[in-house]
This record gives sequence, C-alpha cells and structure tokens, in this order.
Amino acid sequence: MKTEISRRRFLQGTVALTVVGATAAATALANAELGKEGKKSKIVDFGLTKTQYSDKLQEIPTLCEMCVNKCAAIARIEDGVLTKLNPNPLFPKSRNMLCARGNAGIQALEDPDRLKYPLIRVGERGEGKFKRVTWDEAFEYVKEKMVTIIDEEKDNRSTIGYCAGEGMAEHTYTSFMGDKIGSSNYVNHGSICLATTIAGYTLTLGGYGQADLENAEYVIMAGANRAEAIVTPDTMDMFKRTKGRGSKLIVIDPRFTNTAAHADKWLPIEVGTDLAFVLALTYTVITEERYNKRFAEENLSDFEDYKKHILDHNYTPEWAEAITGIKADDIRQVARDFMAHAPRAIYYQGRRTAWSLQDYQLRRAQAIFSAMGGGVDKKGGIIFGKKLPLGDHSINGPMYDNAQERIEKDKAASIGASGSWIAWRNTIIDGSAPYPVRAFFAYKQNPMMSIPNTAKTKQMLEKMDLVVVIDTMPSDTVMMADVVLPESLYLEREDPVKSFGGAEPSIALRKKVVEAKFDTKPVIEIMRGLGMKLSKPLFEVSKKYDEALQEEIADRGEKEVYDEDGYDLADGYRHSQESINHHMVESVYGEDAWKTLREKGVFYPDMDKFFKKLSVNEYEYYPEHKKSYSIIKGDLNNEPYHDTCVDINEIAVLKKKFRTATKKIACALYNLEKKKGVDAMPTWRDELYTPTPEGRFKFITGRHGQFTQSGTANNALLLELLPENYLWINKRVAKEKGIAFADLVEVKSSVGTIQIKAYPTEKIGPNAVFFIHGFGADSSELTLAHHRGANDNTIIEDHYEKTFGSAAMHETIVDIRRV
Amino acid sequence: MARYGMALDYKSCINCKACESACKEENGILLGADNHRIWVGVNEIEGLFPDLSIGSSNFQPSQCQQCDNAPCQSVCPTNATYYDDNGVVRVNPDQCILCTYCMQACPYDARYIDDRTVTVDKCNFCSDTRLIHGETTTACQATCPTKVRIFGDLDDPESEISQTLRDREHYSLKAHLGTKPKLFYLT
Ligand code: SF4
Ligand code: SF4
Ligand code: SF4
Ligand code: SF4
Repeated sequence: MKTEISRRRFLQGTVALTVVGATAAATALANAELGKEGKKSKIVDFGLTKTQYSDKLQEIPTLCEMCVNKCAAIARIEDGVLTKLNPNPLFPKSRNMLCARGNAGIQALEDPDRLKYPLIRVGERGEGKFKRVTWDEAFEYVKEKMVTIIDEEKDNRSTIGYCAGEGMAEHTYTSFMGDKIGSSNYVNHGSICLATTIAGYTLTLGGYGQADLENAEYVIMAGANRAEAIVTPDTMDMFKRTKGRGSKLIVIDPRFTNTAAHADKWLPIEVGTDLAFVLALTYTVITEERYNKRFAEENLSDFEDYKKHILDHNYTPEWAEAITGIKADDIRQVARDFMAHAPRAIYYQGRRTAWSLQDYQLRRAQAIFSAMGGGVDKKGGIIFGKKLPLGDHSINGPMYDNAQERIEKDKAASIGASGSWIAWRNTIIDGSAPYPVRAFFAYKQNPMMSIPNTAKTKQMLEKMDLVVVIDTMPSDTVMMADVVLPESLYLEREDPVKSFGGAEPSIALRKKVVEAKFDTKPVIEIMRGLGMKLSKPLFEVSKKYDEALQEEIADRGEKEVYDEDGYDLADGYRHSQESINHHMVESVYGEDAWKTLREKGVFYPDMDKFFKKLSVNEYEYYPEHKKSYSIIKGDLNNEPYHDTCVDINEIAVLKKKFRTATKKIACALYNLEKKKGVDAMPTWRDELYTPTPEGRFKFITGRHGQFTQSGTANNALLLELLPENYLWINKRVAKEKGIAFADLVEVKSSVGTIQIKAYPTEKIGPNAVFFIHGFGADSSELTLAHHRGANDNTIIEDHYEKTFGSAAMHETIVDIRRV
Repeated sequence: MARYGMALDYKSCINCKACESACKEENGILLGADNHRIWVGVNEIEGLFPDLSIGSSNFQPSQCQQCDNAPCQSVCPTNATYYDDNGVVRVNPDQCILCTYCMQACPYDARYIDDRTVTVDKCNFCSDTRLIHGETTTACQATCPTKVRIFGDLDDPESEISQTLRDREHYSLKAHLGTKPKLFYLT
C-alpha cells in the first residue's frame, strides 16, 4: 500500500482530525488570542529556541513528567537555558524515545501562565481572584484554618480530605497527609483509572503483571489504545511487530483508533459489552477443548467449577453476538487463534479501565482466559518481572485515637486506602457522611476536570472550610482554592528515586536540570514547611482530646512523646531529596552505583557489562538469558505428561506458586462472594448493562498521544498538533441530523450540557459518540486552554461500580443536536 | 564528506508526532502548523462502519526527500538552494529572495516560508543543529518511539542504512519523476 499525500492536501484538513484547524493554530493563537480584550497584559512568548551549542553546554539526565511513564531524558542546557530534551537510551523502560509531549516539556517550563508564587484567595471562591503572598503567609493561613477545624472536630484528623494524582512525589505528600496529619480520607486517581484492572488481575493471577509485547505472538487489545495512549515499553514493543512482522493484533474497540490502524482485525463492539465477548471466547475454548489443559490442571484453582459455570450459563458465541454486535464466527476465530499462539498470547490488561458497571468481572474473565492459554509468568505472556530493591526512608506517623475511618467505606464491597473518588465526593455532598469533611487538599490532580460530573465536584469544593491546592498550573481546581502552593516543575526539582520493575528492571532518577524560575518549591519542601508550622499547634489539639496520648504523656513525659512518636510533622522531610536518594541507593548498591545513577540517570547491576548498542536505534539492556520472564518458582511436574515431542517449558506446565490466596490462579473467589456478595466467577448481568435507546448515543471518552489529561492543555507546542477536541459522530448519522464537519453541536446528558465541534466519521458506529478528555478548561488564567473544546466530565454521569467503587465512565446516554 | 539519506520503516509509525515536535524544538521552527519541516500523512479511511479497510489508513511520515536531482535546486535563480558537502539540499537564507520558484518546483511540497527570515525553509537533516556538532542522528530519528527512522551515510557500504537498503525492499515517492530521493520507504 503506497500513500502519497502532499503537505498541502494534508493541511487542508480533510483527512485527519488531529490537523483540522491546525493551520490557524499556535502562532495565530499566541498572537491573536493573547491580544483578546480583557486579557491581562502578560508578556507572552510561546516561541521555540533553535539549538546553538554554546560553549557552556551541559547535558543532564532526568525523567520526563509530561505523563505517567517517566521516560528517561537528557536535557541539553546552553548558558543555563534548556534548549532540547533528547531521549536517554540507557533506560530499559523508555527504550530510547521521547514522545511529542516529552519534547514539549520545554513549553511546560516556559509556559507564561505557570503558578509562580504562593497565592491566597481574595474574592469569592471560584472567582479566580488571588493575592500574592510569601510561603510563610500561606502556611500561616493554612495553620489557622486547620487548627480551628481539627479542634472543632475534636481531633478527628479525617476531617481533612485529600487527593493526589500519580507522580514520583505522590508518596511524599500522601505520607504527610495520611501518616503525619493522620487522615484516612484519601482519594487518588485509581478509582477513575485502573482500579478494576489492577484488582481483577491481582486477585486472579497474584499480580497485574506486564504484557510481554516484545515476545507475544497474538495480542487482543480491547479498548486499550496503545498507539495514542502511550504506555512504555508497551507502545514501542507492540508497534514494531504489527502488520505481519511478528505479532498478530486484534483490536476490540467501538472506535477505529490509531491502534486499530495497526490491527490484523478490528472488531467494533457495542460499548459496555466486553465481558460478554470474553465469556464467549472462554465458552469456545472450553467446548472445543483448545485451552492448555496441563497448565490449567496444575495451576488454576476451581477450574472445574468455572467450566461448569460457563457452560451452564450457555455463554455461546451466538449469545454474545446478540449483545456485543461481534459476529459469532469472529468470536470463534479469535478464540482459536489465541489458543493456537498460546502461551505467547495475551489478552491485554488495559489501563484506564473505568468503563462500565461490570468492569471488574471483565478483567477477571480476561485474566482467566489468558491463563487458560498458559501465558502467565511466561515469556510472550503476562510476566511479573523483578524489581530492584531500594533502601528505606521511613516516616514515623503518630497514632491518633480520634481519627475515624473513611466516610465512603460502605459505598462499595471493597473500598481500599485510595478510595472511590465519586462515592467519596457524593458522600460529602449528599449528607450521608458520618462526620463532616471540612478541608480539602489537592496535589497534582484536577478533580474539577477529572472526576465525572463536574457540577458535583464544584459543589463539594464549595462546602469546604479550606481548600489547598498544590500544582504547577492554574487549573480549574486551583481556581476553587483558598490557598495555592506552587510546585516547581519536574525539570526544576529532584524527585524521590524510583525502581522500575519488569523483565529488565532498573533504577532511574529525576534530577533537577534548571534552577526554579519562580518562587516555587518541590513537594518535600512544601511538606517540610507545613509540618514545621502545624506540628506544635496540632499537637496541642490532640492533647486536649486524645486520651491515649494523654496517658502516654503521663507515662513518658511530653517531650519524649512529641519527639519519638512522630508528632514532629516535619521530621521525615528535613533532609534534602538528594541526600535521601543517596541513602536509598548507596545503602543497597554502594557509592559507585549512586555516582553512576547521578551521572547517567539510570542504574542497574551490571549495566556497564549488559548495556549494548545494537544499531542506530536499538539497544540491548540485558542479555536474553538475564531477563526476568519467569520468576515464580514451581516444580517441573512432567511425570504424567511425558512427551518427548514437546518442549515442556514452552507449553508452560510448570506447577507454579502464584501470589494469590490459593497459590493458584483463582477462577472462583468464593470468599468475596460470601462476605461481600461479589460474584465468585465472572457472570454477565443484564441489569448492569445500559442499552442505548434508539436515536440517542452512548458517550465514550479517551486519550490521545499529544495530550495528557488536562495537564498539558495549555502547552503551546502540543496545541498546534491538536488544537481542540472534536465530537466523533458516525458520518451517516451526522448527515441525517444535518451536521457537517466543524459544525457546533450540543451534547446533553442528565448532568450537563457542552458544545463542541463535530467530526463526522465512519470510524465510530451509529449509536456511540466520543471526544478526547482534557479539553474545555474553564480557568481564565489558562490563556491557551481556556474554553478551548469541551470537558467530558461536565457530561459524564457519576456512576460507579459496586465492587471497588471505580468510576463507570461509559454508562452515560447523551442527546446530540446541531446548534 | 558523506551522502546522507534516511530509510523509513513506515509500517511502525503510530502517528504520534514526536518527530514533528522534536524537529521544532531542535531547529527552532516557528509554532503554527504551516511551519513544518516534517509531517505524517494520513489517508481518510475507506469503507463504511463497521467494514473499514485497515490497509487504507497507513501513516506515512514525510519531509524533504533530499533529492539527488532536486528540481528546487535547479530552478533557484540565486543559488540559495544548494547541495552541501554531504549531499544535503540546503537553503542559504541570506541568498533567498523569496521568489518561491522552489516551492512550486518541489513535487513533495516539502518547503514552507519561515515568517521570521521571510525566506524558504525545509528539512536539512539537522545539519546546522546536530550534524555540525558531531551528532550522528537527526532529532526526528532520535526521538521516535517505534524507531521508524534510520539515518546514515549512503556512500558507506557498512552503514546501517546501506545494509538495510540492500537487505529490504523499499520504494521512493514519485520515483517516476527522476528526482532521486534519498528518503526510502521500507516495505
Ligand atoms: S510517554 Fe511521553 S510524556 Fe510520557 S513520560 Fe514518556 S516522553 Fe514523557
Ligand atoms: S515519531 Fe515516529 S512513530 Fe511518531 S509520528 Fe514520527 S515517525 Fe511516526
Ligand atoms: S523534496 Fe523538494 S525541497 Fe526537498 S530536495 Fe526534493 S525538490 Fe527539493
Ligand atoms: S532531519 Fe532534522 S530538520 Fe529534518 S525533519 Fe528531521 S528533525 Fe527536522
């Protein structure tokens, strides 16, 4: 297939959504829009610097933070100015690459809209009026409010709620809020992202694992869109081997994505019916006896029950066809091909799996189906890999007698320490909380845009007596804050050293590459400052109400208790990040390892021997026999299966000890059923499925390769690649409705209404619509992102599934009309 | 002295545009989609839902083809467009009078106007930003996640690009025009 497309045709924008409108993008945008009336007279320069290579050149290794992958980068600094970020080939996980966002890190650093100094609100909450203050004034303000609230709540520390987005310093912050301040009311991105798949795979296989896409021969990617939602090393490993070059790829997705463009087969599925598809795959391989019987017998617990369960329910491909819209013959074919390639066959786990009310059981069914092929703890299957240990940095947290359990703990069968965002927020606003949550801290998360039903998030924030936000950009959530504590950008700070597990484990370091441009701080220093301010006054509050503490003081004296029991809230954060990192690496691997890590950005034992350049693009990190594919010990039980024709290792009959309760892959979880009423085995539930009424649409959301949630929404370089989001609507349906390309349409759900431009396309079916998450910011402080495109969570209803409280983001029915 | 070319393993391209942003950062190209040295071509997919033709939606990374027989060079009245010692087709902005003949002559639509210098610009294999400093890769190659790009010296039979072109089938864009591109698409 040859395609020849000229730039001009390409830029006319008839072909790709991502370019449409881009001709008028960033330059125009930086000039015209900034001159718009009413804008503050900011001196703005969104331009790019050409590399000069001055004689004052430095190359400093660091890790990217434009998304969660943490790719290794080398920053080129010329005369103190960052002029280029290049990939650091030493890091196995990022395989010598930086994506578009990684390159655009320079724009994040230079963004004129960044938060530059601490702020305290002066207008009404949400009005966006702040005054500049010193760090001490900001901390003082937080202290006054916190002491009053915690005193009034009689030392119930859980009255302080807090959230965090994923990041290397997340633990620094959560240890302070959870262990030091002592609140149980924590919510993080898990329940709006990957909670169901982590739980599903972990409870079934003993771990979420890593899909070994470098060696898999058959991959089913359902919903996951690795060409656009980049995950390392999966994205790089996958797409070098598609299109008849080593791995078959089957894409199950209501949309034709860039991932589908690499598929051998694309099977569009009715939104929310993936579980029926997997159950029918399972039915097929059971009835046709195509699964790896030896592996199943040795390693699956309650497998007979599961087989019976699948057969009794009659989960035939014909049954699934009626639900999923995927032809029964296609289902059979996929099932057969999968098992023909097993154990080098993977049903890809997925990451942002907060889709439907049945999502947890879907992930269980996927994991069991993968395991039936034997591709678990096996090269080319789902592997667990190794992780290199790091030294300790422990936090000494006090015990607070009066701190209560999290407020939404009964809103789903099993709500963990990171909570259920939606259930938690709704509990605060619907009055069902056993005690009030009166203060809210946010770090690196933007709940005003990231949690389904924005109106409710706003309502929650309005109820608070104190809202503190730590961030780098004036997000919509920052606009709702009383106190804004600006974090230094990733390029301006050192973060906690991190160990990355996998078949090729390594340790990598995010190092400061430029001095902070503004009056900002890394999280560890913010925690230190807050801790120093809060320790004594909060200790006084505890002394008033905490009887256990009063007894301790009577026994041991106040000074000793304060010093030894962790009431000095700053004590874990006094050392510099660099000296903590030094200790964590040096104590395990010695001083040379630390030096290597600082100099090269990456370290693993024998790196100097193992790391090799293979070609202009490719590197070897570990020799093949040193990679950690199979790590679970087991006995080679080949007695009953003696067969000289097969390589017993290749068919994976090792009897293994998985890290589940039964030490086997768990087909049935009877305990969870008995105690919590959760189906022991994956079962399709009609009552948990939302059909799409005629003439209406199911809304789905998703990610994109040039955009990371709302975090990159103001990035000038990325916006020229993707200037705004568009509503994908089936072309023929759009025509019927009189909707043409770029027409403004209204999308209305039961919780909100947005307006967005239309992108009629055959890449989506007649009863679903889609647009990318992260656009549509309301914050007027974001010059480029403000009211650009639409925010999905304004219209996504706040459904959550009842096992883990994970958001069900694809259960919203919407109406569309041309404006 | 070399003869630089690039082989593109285009089937690996995921249209992530890392190459586009790396090129802009490295070479200081103005923001704005009109200002591009490099781009990825995408065809509108053929077929009607759900029967779409997967093969019709290839991603084709493209940039100046570094023609050995470059029409842009032969039409340039001031010799602003020239071949450098490494066979790279370059533009000397000091000599460019913006007659735009080269833009008309280029069959690959590889040239655009740089609004700062008000001269014509295009990909130069990062000659003035990387190669001159001893780097052996271009910015677009170094950053590409799926390693689509192999840059190297076509005159060196031992170079990876030479070996790859010996071992693998490839084609050039609009080969019939006789422009002799030094960009090769691997099949
Ligand atoms: S995938 Fe891209 S944005 Fe994410 S860490 Fe890597 S380079 Fe940065
Ligand atoms: S960086 Fe590579 S994969 Fe991404 S668009 Fe460019 S050529 Fe394609
Ligand atoms: S592709 Fe166009 S600009 Fe490049 S050398 Fe050939 S004719 Fe000249
Ligand atoms: S070789 Fe250099 S100048 Fe040419 S497209 Fe790639 S990055 Fe840009």
